[in-house]
Amino acid sequence: MDHNHRRRRLYNTHVKLLAFDLLSLSQTPSHSSSDPISFSRKGALLSRAETVGTVTSRDLKPSKFLKFTIDDGTGCVGCVLWLNHLDSPYFARRSPPDVRLIAEAANRFASEIRLGVVARVRGRITSYRGTVQITVSDVVVERDPNAETLHCLECMNLARNCYDASGL
Amino acid sequence: MASSAIKSGTLVSLQDIYPSSPFFKQGASLRVTGKLQEYSVETAVAIVIDGNANLKINTQHLRDLSFRVGSFYQFIGELLIQPDNEAILQARVGRNVDGIDLNLYHQSLQLLRQFQADHLSTT
Repeated sequence: MDHNHRRRRLYNTHVKLLAFDLLSLSQTPSHSSSDPISFSRKGALLSRAETVGTVTSRDLKPSKFLKFTIDDGTGCVGCVLWLNHLDSPYFARRSPPDVRLIAEAANRFASEIRLGVVARVRGRITSYRGTVQITVSDVVVERDPNAETLHCLECMNLARNCYDASGL
Repeated sequence: MASSAIKSGTLVSLQDIYPSSPFFKQGASLRVTGKLQEYSVETAVAIVIDGNANLKINTQHLRDLSFRVGSFYQFIGELLIQPDNEAILQARVGRNVDGIDLNLYHQSLQLLRQFQADHLSTT
């Protein structure tokens, strides 16, 4: 596997990271404004992540966004779920039925995010005011009391056996 | 973003909370898990136990949580150390965790602490 392929092997997959690990990622400098944002972890480029934890804060601006915090015991990850699909120029180019489906899903996710629930959140790794955060694409509320423990074990296992590996 | 105002609740066992412990700090944000031994509706104080350790939890700010003696709960909040050196956790979130595998939880907590220590030493 050549160097560039090795660097991008984790790109576009939702890497399972503990909060302290996710928050310590460094944003790679982009060479032009059209380069997608990416982050680097031990030489590998990342763009998406999955985190599981307890919702400890919630700030809703209806039809704009829901900002919330996921605490997994190792750190707090800021998450933003956009709710402005219907009047965003970004979505104006897409077909209205598709946008409506995306907007409905986002609103469903927003109603499930309540203080104290455990949620599995996936999305793009982004940065806001110098802090790593997740721009949410989907949410699953985890009712199994062992879900966080299992996610923690998965993160450690994947880090040791997959993410940290430099020579693949 | 206000996330810097919300502190992460450090994962601890009830056995980790005693006066000379590094976790025994005024205002420390902790996450604790234990079985409900006692609950007072008047004071909203719960006592949770794990093995031979116990901790008082102030649950007055929690909503939508029903307390059943014998059930397992997890709380995230700040430690208030009173003048007599007794600690009570001021919970900001809590949930029923009946069905939790506490043995697995404790084991993975030990692994996690090692993992975080290893990560710090290599970055």
